[in-house]
Amino acid sequence: MNNYIEKNILPLVTKPITYLGNEVNAVHKIPSPEMIRFAFAFPDTYEVGMSHLGMKILYGLLNEEKDIWCERVFAPWVDMEEQLRRHDLPLYGLESMMPLNDYDFVGFTLQYEMSFSNILNMLELGKITLRSAQRKEAEPFVIAGGPCAYNPEPLSDFIDIFVIGEAEEVILKIMATHREWKKTGGARQDFLKMAAAIEGVYVPAFYAVSYDETTGVITAFAPVIEEAPATIRKQFIEDLDQAYFPDKIVVSYTETVHDRISYEIFRGCGRGCRFCQAGMIYRPTREKTVPTIQSKIKALIAATGYDEVSLSSLSTGDYSEIETLIKNLVCDAESGKVSISLPSLRIDSLSIEMLEEIQKVRKAGLTLAPEAGTQRMRDVINKGVTEENLMDTVKTAFEKGWGHVKLYFMIGLPGETLADIEGIADLGQKVVDEYYKIDRESRNKSLKVVLSASSFVPKPFTPFQWMGQNTPEEFKNKQRHLKASIKDRKISYSWHDSGVSFLEAVFARGDRRLGLVLEKAHQKGCRFDGWGEYFDLQKWTEAFVEAGIDPDFYALRNRDYDEILPWDFIDTGVTKKFLKAEAQKAEAAVTTPFCPESCSNCGIMEFKKGWKCNG
Amino acid sequence: MVKIQYQFKRSTPLRFLSHLDQQRLFQRAFRRANMPVEYSQGFNPHPRMSFALAMSVGLTSDGEYGEVIVSEDIDVETFISRMNKVLPNGLEIVSANICGEGVGSLSAALSKSVYRIRIKVIPETDLAALAEAIQSYLALPQILIQKRNKKGKYVEKDIRPFIESIAVFADPGTDKVNIKMTLIYIEQQCVKPEQILESINNQNSAVFLIDPTIEIHREKLLITADA
Ligand code: SF4
Repeated sequence: MNNYIEKNILPLVTKPITYLGNEVNAVHKIPSPEMIRFAFAFPDTYEVGMSHLGMKILYGLLNEEKDIWCERVFAPWVDMEEQLRRHDLPLYGLESMMPLNDYDFVGFTLQYEMSFSNILNMLELGKITLRSAQRKEAEPFVIAGGPCAYNPEPLSDFIDIFVIGEAEEVILKIMATHREWKKTGGARQDFLKMAAAIEGVYVPAFYAVSYDETTGVITAFAPVIEEAPATIRKQFIEDLDQAYFPDKIVVSYTETVHDRISYEIFRGCGRGCRFCQAGMIYRPTREKTVPTIQSKIKALIAATGYDEVSLSSLSTGDYSEIETLIKNLVCDAESGKVSISLPSLRIDSLSIEMLEEIQKVRKAGLTLAPEAGTQRMRDVINKGVTEENLMDTVKTAFEKGWGHVKLYFMIGLPGETLADIEGIADLGQKVVDEYYKIDRESRNKSLKVVLSASSFVPKPFTPFQWMGQNTPEEFKNKQRHLKASIKDRKISYSWHDSGVSFLEAVFARGDRRLGLVLEKAHQKGCRFDGWGEYFDLQKWTEAFVEAGIDPDFYALRNRDYDEILPWDFIDTGVTKKFLKAEAQKAEAAVTTPFCPESCSNCGIMEFKKGWKCNG
Repeated sequence: MVKIQYQFKRSTPLRFLSHLDQQRLFQRAFRRANMPVEYSQGFNPHPRMSFALAMSVGLTSDGEYGEVIVSEDIDVETFISRMNKVLPNGLEIVSANICGEGVGSLSAALSKSVYRIRIKVIPETDLAALAEAIQSYLALPQILIQKRNKKGKYVEKDIRPFIESIAVFADPGTDKVNIKMTLIYIEQQCVKPEQILESINNQNSAVFLIDPTIEIHREKLLITADA
């Protein structure tokens, strides 16, 4: 098959080199019958998937095991899909080019809801039976993890095994269980039962759900076999500093979305922004030490030849020793012409000082995320940033020669009024005014302020998990109002389509009944929904109608606090009680402090015995 | 500061690299091999390295040339072995030269390219007839093709002076033929082999089925002695 594809298929598609699996540091092994074959599947393009850190960690981790060969597979681009279908060739794992249905495991990482249709498409292209219940004995176990697995229900018809939480430890337990099971010569069902007993593992087939016939809400959710626990506890790694991180990562030949080494300096975030799912589910905050970071980065540069490193985390400036770290890294980097980038910086002038330090020359765009236009609204979402912070930051930035500022906002936040929308435009105007206060000689010659507003999608395990999303109509009106409120020609405005946000809201808080919708949408050809040009709301609407499901029930409905939510059986450590209290504080626009300043008892310390936040 | 000119091969596993991909690849390979590559001055420093020719996607080659400027003296053997250790399967440095500062650029010294091509032909094409057609094609004093100039306008270009020879061989048991073609560089300009095949198709009735599955291999790239 390899030769045929190389000669007859790849010359016909764009970026053929991304379908060969022969990159630097790609792992190739000699297969043996005992070997566990694992296809790590990223349900988006190669360029997106290859930028993803979690995949690199698990790829390295699994391949450390002699008897496991972990390979990669991405959603083939539409031209490649067409060729595979036309030649009736299966989707394959890149390194060995083995058909997907020959693997022991196909493991999807769930990064965003809009990639769900790609999962079905990849299964179909890999000639794997779509529905878990109908899969034959010899077919791969389809496994999934990642942030969207915190509400696994919409995918529960198609995924055999979910991993809830950080997968580094659980995945090895699942592999060990698989070795055991293979020895016993047991049936598929036996393995699933064994897996269900591992802490942090959810096997949806072993749970039953019932619904209220009139209201449609869940009335009961419970395991149907003894091995399956009623509550699934998320897994997290206590000692991140000592946790596995590969010394080598695969280096793409083509340019990827983030074409650099991305190194995670800490996990979790103690800011407690109320709209942010990552901030809640990745608690508690755990850091790596400066020496670990320095030595790992050095090794990675030597193994890859990359010339850029980005320090990743949810809020890079919150790293406790950020200044030391940057000084040391800049020092190391000087000699080898390596540059450092700091994504996810908060709004404060310290950030600008840091940017100055690392970007000695280039004054590219400065991106800041105040998220909301008025102080009241920022208090509602607990974004602990004031207008003063923002103005100080842009002032410093303008003084240092920046001229291009991009501000990110969300609209459709709880309790939002038109005044809050106007606040976004006002804030943009104040940034412009700040520029003109700077001495003509020292400021950048050109000024550009971009306001970008996205439609807010309420997510599970956040204080806003109970709230209905704004209707597409409300979003449109607010966007229009915002546009009309912008008066200055220096300000430009971009906004995102609310059709996608609506669908995202449906699947983010969906339940099992959405499996049918997903299947129908897939049959209609939906895929790459996250790519504007392929998103087809019409097809999705038809799929909902045919499945007899009202999407508004999921996206727009306000839930009661005591309703059983589809994801309630998962325990993230942050209690529902805490989330409810946060929701009520949001209503009163009362803020909650940053964890290191004061603990608000979110529940994580009770969740894991012996765990202590803040040292 | 030393300039190193090296000859390298690109084979099937990496034939789909674009020119940019290959540049990135070498840049990273130099770093992995710990080569002290010099950087340009200015706002956006970039490594001082280049290739004699941009390779098109799909092309394999036994004769490509590249050069790089490094800040420390290094001997040829060390350069080759350190680079080959880090280059992925599909790229290999076969020889290298340490040059003086004054040596001109490689692209100015290009003289000829020798290609071997495997291409589909119209079913039941007679090889003898094809050879004859190529002979009469080569006998033409002038061969005009339409070419887009830098402004995007179509202009006529005589490609005959760029062709030294074309020979055709059977590829038994397939619907393909093998072609050997030697093309000449004139003032750093040349023509692509596909363009020649297309113009042969246009002169006669179409014989070649030109599609992306064509296999083109550069056997040799000749450079004039003074480089
Ligand atoms: S237990 Fe306290 S300090 Fe720890 S994450 Fe929760 S709120 Fe923050």
